[in-house]
Amino acid sequence: MNYTGYETSYTSYGAGGGAGGGFIPGDGSQTSPSGRKDYSQDTLRPVTIKQILDAQQPTEDVFKIDGANISQLTFVAQIRNISTQVTNITYKVDDGTGSIEVKLWVDTDAAEQPNSNKPKLVENAYCRVWGKLKSYNNKKHVGAHIIRPVEDYNEISYHLLEATAVHLYFTRGPPGGATGGGAVNGGYGQQTQTGGYDGGSVALPSLQGVSPMAKKVYELMRTSPQTNEGLHQQEIAARLGVDTSEVARAGDDLLSAGVIYTTVDDQTWAILETD
Amino acid sequence: MEHPQTPRILATHLDAFQHKLVRMVGKVVQLRGETAIIDAGGQVNIILTRDSHLAVNHFVEIIGKVDGQLNVKVHAATDFGTNIDVDGVKAVVEATHRHRGIFYDDY
Repeated sequence: MNYTGYETSYTSYGAGGGAGGGFIPGDGSQTSPSGRKDYSQDTLRPVTIKQILDAQQPTEDVFKIDGANISQLTFVAQIRNISTQVTNITYKVDDGTGSIEVKLWVDTDAAEQPNSNKPKLVENAYCRVWGKLKSYNNKKHVGAHIIRPVEDYNEISYHLLEATAVHLYFTRGPPGGATGGGAVNGGYGQQTQTGGYDGGSVALPSLQGVSPMAKKVYELMRTSPQTNEGLHQQEIAARLGVDTSEVARAGDDLLSAGVIYTTVDDQTWAILETD
Repeated sequence: MEHPQTPRILATHLDAFQHKLVRMVGKVVQLRGETAIIDAGGQVNIILTRDSHLAVNHFVEIIGKVDGQLNVKVHAATDFGTNIDVDGVKAVVEATHRHRGIFYDDY
């Protein structure tokens, strides 16, 4: 009977142990998750660890990212340290944007049979985490529901792009006229065209010291509609009505100033956003 | 922070990240004892450590420091196998630079 109590009330650790489980009516209503919380507001958001660390906490139990309340989170990261406690396993994980502790409560009844052929949760392995953000003594950690090893490393790219797309959704709104899979590209396109640079008098300190032609090229690049591949130097030359070699030199200037970067080939450039 | 941020870059960005810690995914082209060449949107010379085990034609994720000659000195290497979508990796690098706010502080 005690075991049944554990299984059905896994969100309230320690409550079921001695009490004899959820068969006492009064106790049962308290431990039943469905009885006390409205899960219709629950969301599952892909995030980077930096976003988690930067999350705002307006009140005790509420966290916000990009102004939106967050409940469930998911991310992909590399395990840096594993510390096994009596009640939980604490994984220190790092995704290149930050590191955070993930606690997985140990369910001794559900111990998995080790399968030697499958990737395991070991140090330096990549993992996918689903969980909730918690804060204890002003230190954030993630209470995990599930941690599983990453088997296909493309999941890392997928996750980071998904986190970016969702971030853009919250900060810029849904991609305009997008249909299904075009969400990420739509977001980029919208950004490069409307960007918020309409004022025209943006401070560009990093352009100090570059040639006048480089400034012209940069100005054209940031005001022209373009795909996320940016613009080819021949196209820039045609639009400015100058020789390609001049544009190439200007491009070298801008590349070494670190304000543009090459995309599909060495002659195609896009502006490095600094937001 | 014990594990500093590691901006994701391609070969073309090496110049802008001299003497910085970076993260690169590339395909191992050549192994030459203490060095290796990977293709990460261009060839990159990698300076290995004794315990970095790279395999030719496998993708590898390198966390390492860019030196003044644009070599990357390995701090850690993770084998990513052979099934990696290169366009996905490039898209990630681009997204992390364009929308830096959710990935990195200043670098």
